[in-house]
Amino acid sequence: MRMRPLEYNDIPAVLAIERASFPDPWAESSFADEIGRTDRSWKVAVSEERVVGYGGVMTVGDEGHLLDLAVTPDERGTGLGRKLVWELAADAARAGASRLTLEVAASNDIALALYRSCGFDVAGRRPGYYPSTGDDALLLWSRPLKPHLAAMRAAAAGEDIILAVESSCDETAASVMRGGREELSNVIASQVDFHSRFGGVVPEIASRKHTEAIVGVVDEALEAAGVTFEDCDAVAVTAGPGLVGALVVGLAYAKGVACSTGLPVVGVNHLEGHIYAARLLDPDLQPPLVALLVSGGHTMLVDVPRWGAYTVLGGTLDDAAGEAFDKVAKLLGLGYPGGPVISRLAAEGDPGAIPFPRPMLRTDDLDVSLSGLKTAVIQYVERERRGGRDLRIPDIAASFQAAVTEVQVTKTLKAVRGTGARAVVLAGGVAANPALREALRSALAAEDVPLSVPPLGLCTDNAAMIAAAAHDSLVAGRFLGLDADAVPGLRLDRKM
Amino acid sequence: MDHVFTTGDAGETDRAGALLAACLEPGDVVALSGDLGAGKTHLVQGVARALDVDGAVTSPTFNILLVHDGVLPLYHFDLYRLEDEAQLEDVGFFEMLEADGASFIEWGDRFPDALPPDHLLVTIQRSGDTGRVFTLHPGGVRARVLADCWIAAIKAGASG
Repeated sequence: MRMRPLEYNDIPAVLAIERASFPDPWAESSFADEIGRTDRSWKVAVSEERVVGYGGVMTVGDEGHLLDLAVTPDERGTGLGRKLVWELAADAARAGASRLTLEVAASNDIALALYRSCGFDVAGRRPGYYPSTGDDALLLWSRPLKPHLAAMRAAAAGEDIILAVESSCDETAASVMRGGREELSNVIASQVDFHSRFGGVVPEIASRKHTEAIVGVVDEALEAAGVTFEDCDAVAVTAGPGLVGALVVGLAYAKGVACSTGLPVVGVNHLEGHIYAARLLDPDLQPPLVALLVSGGHTMLVDVPRWGAYTVLGGTLDDAAGEAFDKVAKLLGLGYPGGPVISRLAAEGDPGAIPFPRPMLRTDDLDVSLSGLKTAVIQYVERERRGGRDLRIPDIAASFQAAVTEVQVTKTLKAVRGTGARAVVLAGGVAANPALREALRSALAAEDVPLSVPPLGLCTDNAAMIAAAAHDSLVAGRFLGLDADAVPGLRLDRKM
Repeated sequence: MDHVFTTGDAGETDRAGALLAACLEPGDVVALSGDLGAGKTHLVQGVARALDVDGAVTSPTFNILLVHDGVLPLYHFDLYRLEDEAQLEDVGFFEMLEADGASFIEWGDRFPDALPPDHLLVTIQRSGDTGRVFTLHPGGVRARVLADCWIAAIKAGASG
């Protein structure tokens, strides 16, 4: 695919796309009239000698007005629209524009999603703007063009410096990264101490502690990296999923930085970050991959055919793996978080002592269920207590862990065979569990598939993984606007 | 009407949830009480299935609130990790109760004063390894209508 200026010969192809895209299309003569005007730039995207998209911008003073932009239906969703937006933005910037503006039909969800993905904000509404449909127009404005274009150029050269912040759950974290792979700093202010008293992550405490910690954590990350805000190309932030009260602290902070410095903001899906953590350890790691994400709030198997593309193959139907560890630990009076203490005790116990069930082990799908296992542990403990027998806590821990591990390993192998993945990434806080790592590693070795497990500090929540994912978003020209909101239930297959 | 029924296993609990779904109206609040493993999430999964919710309805323990789009929006709370009633404000609890869906609140008996008076409290007790006893405690006029509708559906299901 290449971009070049619009020519008269292109007009029939452009008209066909225009008519397939808008209820109120431009007329043929209007396009012809645009060519050759000095205050305009029109570009076509050409793929295999075929025009697949086009757009035009008019620059007046320091404003670029995006006049028209469309992509042929079979090329939508490929990132071509975003490439056209930034191509025209670069032309407008050269002509003196500091920002882009445009109108889009309020009902045109695809176009709205495109401009939002470039960081445009809705600034107003013009009722009944489109006469033939009666539809309202939304008035959109970009953020400052120069820093966005500079960040994309730096990312394409692998020289971008990203400051990332992460506050989706109980860690306030910040990291500075060069080129998406070279970690300049990675700072985590763990809140686990505050939470251990409460037996879980308490959201109100999470948001208050994030607010207290975030400025200091970012200062430390910048200082450790030896950079200032002026050296950064973009600020990246976790936009979801997570606790809403915790997410908004990081997002509001990132927007504050963006507002005062003009830096672009990149929104990152927390789950995508966990997968990218593996690339920090292993820069040559290449899809197709299968990722097993196991944490306090998530348990899922993900097909990653290429970086940035995800299909959730299966996941828990009820409790997350980390949640099951926490609840069993609480039941046994072992404190929070449950994972490390159960893992430690399990090392002293017999994994075959108690035959806990392996729910869904033999089902054809890639889903798991952990709630029934949790209930089985509860029932076992109650029976033993009723019978007046002492609980052999290490045996319970080892037997419970063995059941969780066997199901995860079996389903992961099934996913690898089903997708033909060439590597497996184990990510999320539960990846710290040595029994799960070892069982998975040896099962995959038998299939000649390598297992990539990020070091412990990158498995649990951190901001380096957010910076790593944000680098690819910069390359793709994907940004957040300043009216972006946290999305507590953000799905892995949805971009911000 | 006697507001007690039993289920024999998780599948029956799921079906009981599906029967409740047909009785729900926007603004209904159902609080669920019962120990770890009682089947609170299972019941809500049955409700969700009958409301044509897309995707898995997983435990909301981590997120505190999960919102599902269905025939009726389903607001699925879990107050397990909350220690203080003031934290309800932080998770959008009161806004959601007044929104256009039905709210299900696991560990809903933790902060009884925070619930609207006209809510249906459902206590779930284990009876043997797989059996469960459900007891309904309607707090007001609408909750009583809801409880009666649910019990009638379960009786009709049992005899039909």
